[in-house]
Amino acid sequence: MKTYAVKASEIERQWWVVDAADLTLGRLATRIATLLEGKHKPTYSPHIDTGDHVVVINAARIRVTGNKLVQKRYYRHSGYPGGLKEESLQALMARKPELVIERAVKGMLPQNRIGRAMIKKLKVYGGPDHPHQAQQPVAAEL
Amino acid sequence: MARVKRGVAAHRRHKRLLAQAAGRRGTRSKLVRPAREALFHALVYAYRDRKGRKRDMRRLWIERINAASRQHGLSYSRFIAGLKAAGVEVDRKVLADLAVREPAAFASMVQTAKTSFTS
Repeated sequence: MKTYAVKASEIERQWWVVDAADLTLGRLATRIATLLEGKHKPTYSPHIDTGDHVVVINAARIRVTGNKLVQKRYYRHSGYPGGLKEESLQALMARKPELVIERAVKGMLPQNRIGRAMIKKLKVYGGPDHPHQAQQPVAAEL
Repeated sequence: MARVKRGVAAHRRHKRLLAQAAGRRGTRSKLVRPAREALFHALVYAYRDRKGRKRDMRRLWIERINAASRQHGLSYSRFIAGLKAAGVEVDRKVLADLAVREPAAFASMVQTAKTSFTS
């Protein structure tokens, strides 16, 4: 008997919509990562991206525990000397709340070519609206 | 006795070695020494990973069984514990195959595991 290996033509991709309001950042991100990876399907195959598309709304209304709103920092480097930029979670939430969820989920996906393909199926919106009604996304229970 | 020159034999040996090296990158497909070293490494990796493959497959089966049993509201560890309690000896390879090809049969396996807890 040969273990089943999914073919690219056999992958059925569903669209999910997740309401992030009042959900905890990390706990939400693990659930989103599972859907993007396709680990919720019995046909999961590691050599290919078998995951679904996920639309996240109300990204601006996520929660974090403890004092992370002030203490959690996001770093990036411009490449120039002294170019290390630092931003608190609070500041990032005010500037671009979508980035918070995108970064959290990205860190939970495989750090390879397949992982980079997976993150492209994630669409995050700060407000309660999204332009993906045509894909008829199903509300995911988390 | 005829004189044997070593160049002919060496050339044949190198030709055979480089034939196996086709497709490798850079000097590993063109020069004898890097090609030979790459070949020795390749054999070691192949031997090692034939054993690793058995572990990789088992991991994959577990991931699939976990996904399928969660669809029926049971985590992997609870599912396996339930099957063990019920005395079911179907292995992970077959369970993972059932989950993909015979979802109905897999569902009844999950039911077996669930009932073994309540009794």
